[in-house]
Amino acid sequence: MQLSLIGLSHHTAPVEVRERLHFPEKDIPPALHALRERPGVGEALIFSTCNRVEVLARLEDGLEALPLLADFLATTRRVAPESFQSYLYHHSQREAVRHVFRVAASLDSMILGEPQVLGQVKAAYATARAVGTIGSVLDEVLTHAFAVAKKVRAETGIAGSAVSVSYAAVELAKKIFGNLEGRNVFVIGAGKMSELAARHLLRSGAQAIFVTNRTYARAQELATQWGGRAIQFDDLLAHVAQADIILSSTGCPHYIIKKEHGVRFLAERKNRPMFFIDIAVPRDIDPELNTLDNVFVYDIDDLEQVVAANRRVRQQEAVRAEEIVEREVDRLLGRLKRLELTPTIVALQDKLHALRQQELERARLGTLTPEQRAAVEEMSRALVNKILHLQLTQLKRLPQEPDGLKFIEFIRRTFQLKD
Amino acid sequence: MSSLWLWVALGFYSLGLAHALLTVARRRQAWFRSALLAFGLGFIFHFVALVEHGLALGRFPVTNISEATSLFAFLLTLGFLVVYWAYKMTPLSVFAFPVVFVMTLASALSQRPAPVSPLVKASWVPVHVSFALVGYAALILACLAGVMYLIQERELKRHQPHAFYYRLPPLDTIDRLGARALTVGFPFITLGILIGMWGAAGAWGPDWIRDPKVTLSFVLWFIYLLLVLSRVSAGWRGRRAAVLAILGMVMALASWSANYLSAHHAFLGH
Repeated sequence: MQLSLIGLSHHTAPVEVRERLHFPEKDIPPALHALRERPGVGEALIFSTCNRVEVLARLEDGLEALPLLADFLATTRRVAPESFQSYLYHHSQREAVRHVFRVAASLDSMILGEPQVLGQVKAAYATARAVGTIGSVLDEVLTHAFAVAKKVRAETGIAGSAVSVSYAAVELAKKIFGNLEGRNVFVIGAGKMSELAARHLLRSGAQAIFVTNRTYARAQELATQWGGRAIQFDDLLAHVAQADIILSSTGCPHYIIKKEHGVRFLAERKNRPMFFIDIAVPRDIDPELNTLDNVFVYDIDDLEQVVAANRRVRQQEAVRAEEIVEREVDRLLGRLKRLELTPTIVALQDKLHALRQQELERARLGTLTPEQRAAVEEMSRALVNKILHLQLTQLKRLPQEPDGLKFIEFIRRTFQLKD
Repeated sequence: MSSLWLWVALGFYSLGLAHALLTVARRRQAWFRSALLAFGLGFIFHFVALVEHGLALGRFPVTNISEATSLFAFLLTLGFLVVYWAYKMTPLSVFAFPVVFVMTLASALSQRPAPVSPLVKASWVPVHVSFALVGYAALILACLAGVMYLIQERELKRHQPHAFYYRLPPLDTIDRLGARALTVGFPFITLGILIGMWGAAGAWGPDWIRDPKVTLSFVLWFIYLLLVLSRVSAGWRGRRAAVLAILGMVMALASWSANYLSAHHAFLGH
């Protein structure tokens, strides 16, 4: 068995190269068929996203994988091989398995730990499986990769904390308030970023009570959309104390909310905590408010700083994730080796012939004439060969079937073949 | 007081201690589930030890300082397990496990069979001591919550998340835990003190008020009252409540150590 993977990704190739090799969804089934038609190709999978184009295949032993797969890419995508060859990476056997695991577990992603890539790998697998180019080995590799990705997410913090400013704001809110259910949000000034952050907050259970904006109509529009109330911009200070989370992003040249306002709010709120998210430049909230007990003020730089810290955490966690991947690669390769077809066939033949020999000896054929004995022996040999023949025709088809390894496992178990 | 079962409990608690130390050293929660299990087993053996000791003595085992310490550690473990069950607050273990271990160790090591004063045999004494201990245990939990609160608040105020930021629970959760511990503890400590007053007045006459421990206990009770009332009426929550809870704990420690100064609380029967 030869497992090979070639491809290029955001790590190795600029977008001009990636876009030329990119497979639109509808092109993948015919391409898989074409690849499968090539001599020596047993199984195949194409994985194409905006960040990477990869081809994974099981090839016959002794075949030169790189030229074959590179030529396939050049032909199907109609691009000159020279234009992308220098960007290609090629992994085989162990490295190929590890690469698939790392991609699925989002260890090779542009944003470490981002969750979409696993879904994309699953979709690519489903496509190839529907086309019929997934056989026993690729099925095993891919399903194992999904399990590894899940394990990595569960056991490491690689996808743990937010790496975008708007999600970081939500996480901070949760660190302050615990549950956001029923917490009130006040959105001051409608901008793209504050809308995004507001939506994240609302999705986490927070309520939008007030929306204000320089143009009142825009405030009304957002208020209806979020089920809140629009406030005239000049009245905003009268309503802030009712909000737990204040999201501010106006174009004001000076602070809108100052420390003395904060003192007043707290008195009105009996010191219940307040979280100010100030994504305006110049800032809307006086940073001095942060010195008040139970008030937390984050400006855009603070949020960026949190994001940077979260990234570092993800990188640390990636080290542990790599260890998990390495262990799982070993496990899968061990299993593939145990369930290889040819050794299984040999073992099966040996087993049946040994059984025949054993039974002949037990049958005490001494009373028979030499001719009779020869006939019995011949009959037993023919019987064993017939049974073997039936099995072998089925067994030889198994590599092309997704469930192949499970059948081999079944055969090994029923005939008690030793590992 | 030293029974086999107490040492077994201590052995299990030591696993909890190892967990806490390892977690701090590696800045990563290390095998928490096993440590929790060990701690739970320690709790059960601790209970067995208390019952066995009580049966052997033929009375509730809070008649000398070693016994009281043991019961106190037991109550603290109970408090931790309840909090864990309700809040799934794993980082609390880092603070609670060592405290329980040290207290149990102290109890197991002080082996002298204390001569029991006739006073201690009075039936109100075990009730007084146990109620006070429940109050102390609640205060320790509130204090630990206060420490966690101050750390997490600092992380959030400084805008630079460190390891603590990721591990500690949300501020609001910690604040609630502290408040709840006090609400549970306050009636106990109040009743404990009232029973003590009643009993002492009967046993020692008007002299009882001059005992240093009594004075300190009143201060402690006053802080406790302040903690509970300020939150309800003035909205003293968060940082201020946390600092006050820690202060209350310091006061409680002073009150506890006053056992060595007080003629009547030394358990030794002067």
